[in-house]
Amino acid sequence: MPSTSFERRRRRAGLLFVAPAAIVLLAILAYPIVESFILSTQSVRLVAGGVTKEWNSFGNYIRLAGDETFRRAVVNTVFFSFGEVALVVSISLAVALLLNHPLGRWGFFRIMLVIPWAIAPVANAVLWKWILNSNYGILNGLLKSLGLIEYYQVWLARPWSAFGFLLFIDVWKSVPFIALLLLAGLQRVPSSLYKAAYMDGAGRWQAFRHVTLPTMRGALAIAVVLQTIWSLRVFEIIFVLTRGGPADATVLMNFLAYRVTFNFLDIGYGAAIANIIFALTFLLAITYVWLMQPRKRRVSS
Amino acid sequence: MSLKLTRRNALTGAAALGAASLLPNGFSRPAAAEDTTLGVFGPLPPDPAPPGAAKFAGAEFDAWKAANGADVTYDLVAWPQLHDRMATAFASGSAPWDVMYNCGWVPEFESFLLPFVDDLPKELVDDMPGSSFSTVTWNGKSYGAIFTLSLLTLFYNKEHLDEAGLGAPPKDWDEFLRYTKELTRDGRYGFVSNYGEPAGIGGTASYWMAFLQQAGGTMYAEDGSPAFNTEAGVAALQMMIDLQEAGTDPGSISYVGINDATNVLLSGRASMMMNWPFMWKPAQDPKGSQIVGKLAASVLPAGPAGTASIDGTDAWTIGKSTKDAEKARKLIEFYLDPVIQKKQALDTGWLPIRLSVLNDPDVQAAMPLAKVVLDQAQHPYDSFVTPDYNEISQAVGTEVQKALQGQKTAAEAIAEAESLASAIIARRG
Repeated sequence: MPSTSFERRRRRAGLLFVAPAAIVLLAILAYPIVESFILSTQSVRLVAGGVTKEWNSFGNYIRLAGDETFRRAVVNTVFFSFGEVALVVSISLAVALLLNHPLGRWGFFRIMLVIPWAIAPVANAVLWKWILNSNYGILNGLLKSLGLIEYYQVWLARPWSAFGFLLFIDVWKSVPFIALLLLAGLQRVPSSLYKAAYMDGAGRWQAFRHVTLPTMRGALAIAVVLQTIWSLRVFEIIFVLTRGGPADATVLMNFLAYRVTFNFLDIGYGAAIANIIFALTFLLAITYVWLMQPRKRRVSS
Repeated sequence: MSLKLTRRNALTGAAALGAASLLPNGFSRPAAAEDTTLGVFGPLPPDPAPPGAAKFAGAEFDAWKAANGADVTYDLVAWPQLHDRMATAFASGSAPWDVMYNCGWVPEFESFLLPFVDDLPKELVDDMPGSSFSTVTWNGKSYGAIFTLSLLTLFYNKEHLDEAGLGAPPKDWDEFLRYTKELTRDGRYGFVSNYGEPAGIGGTASYWMAFLQQAGGTMYAEDGSPAFNTEAGVAALQMMIDLQEAGTDPGSISYVGINDATNVLLSGRASMMMNWPFMWKPAQDPKGSQIVGKLAASVLPAGPAGTASIDGTDAWTIGKSTKDAEKARKLIEFYLDPVIQKKQALDTGWLPIRLSVLNDPDVQAAMPLAKVVLDQAQHPYDSFVTPDYNEISQAVGTEVQKALQGQKTAAEAIAEAESLASAIIARRG
């Protein structure tokens, strides 16, 4: 509590300096969030040359519970996120370990690694659309020339196959960033710890398990949280490759929110779906911020 | 007076130029009192773009602008973005366009559009198929003018049919199935389609709607409730399932756009497809087609109730917020002028809507399918557009996809589609 007039003036000046940034943040962050929540509690229709809004007592959220497509989108999203996080983090860790090896420190490898991440999202989706094409796709041509398949396959025709390929494509795109993130974490592990471990007779696996992993716990946690947030936002590959099909097999929550809002013009209901995604993302963001906080060291008495 | 290039002169000149550019209209010619700028929102070529945007009738367009004291600015986007861009603009209350392209969305955007068809010249209206106003009419008012006769017809590879000893295109469902089976050979398929996108005109639901009418069914009863859970509705879907088993390219379920499927036919990897007239021109271009001179078209094979199709409903409409409704209407009349319509057909491949131009010998010689599409237009071609067309076609198309994948029988899928459509209509209120 400010006890002197100097402290009060200092605090007031601080508030004045912070105010412009706070107003901008409120305008560009808080207002859309509040507006979106209000929309999600209304029936919003485009009639009479304008938008009419009518309070519907959280009817949109109640409708979500009985909506089979939404339930499917939730299940798909959960599977997609778990699969993506598990694959991206484990592959990225392996890639980071390789790049941290003296042989892998050649800059060429890092440039190659970054390419999938650097490709624009829609271009990436179109690229894979052609790779997977059932008539001209290079994947079919390659597998057939290797004698692994007899006939060209329609990779995006079956629900699980389509879902699996979307997952694979997003993993392919996501690995580079997470690998670089983990590589930075790896490079912060003091080499003295490895020396001490080897002197104590630890093998490579034991050094990895008891030195590398515990030291990288923070980086790994951040990678998991960030990748989970990103997996909730996947859109382009679904829009370009499958449009949520076949038979809604690849509809994720984010794509459903778009479809309901812009294709069906059911703006209130679309906002309800978007708010569910927002709530999930917000929780993950809090986790991320918590993980990023510097830890206080325990002082033993 | 001599002009020396000095620093002072250069600075004075630059200041004068800057001041002049700040004046209203900058360096442009002085505006006449009656000058108007019309904003047009539409699709980018190769979709049906208007003159000045697509490369045809440029001189006529300039002449029209000069004669009418109007400038025209185009805001064109790729076709798949049109609906969502318009919806967003309307919802935000900032749709800045006078003339807008619409495709099956007239009932949905009705309250933002101006009915103007009654003011069109009689000779123009009389020169268009009567049914061409059905998809742009809602609640008894007509909001648009169709500018291209775009109906689904059957396209086929003559060479493939000849090789299989099939002289003429299939005339009915039985022949359609038999042809598909017989043409599935030598590493190619008898039929190809784009079943990957369930919704919208040209999506999976649309194909089923064409079969539905061929089977003698309809989408809605007089009171607007769904009326397709009938023998005809199930038969239409069963026909699609049978066609799938007879030899439809299995990749069809993964093709989310018409171009994906079109490419398969143009590469000679399939023998037949249901497609829109736009296909004719690219099929004759050796740069992208391996079937130059081999393509032919016919009316869609008849079901129990005869042949039937759906139309693309490509229409020009006028926004309610237009500042000059009369000039906007005149611009649409210009797009529908016989000279422009003929150039549209010959230069872009999009058929005219005017009957006189469709019957023009030059048009028929350059585009033999004009006659086929005219024949197809003699039969029913309802696209069943409603204010919730996207949502209903998404629901129906998804159920059709489930049946095509064997997840449901035709009867189960149609029953579920009807239940979903009823719920959507009930929400409309």
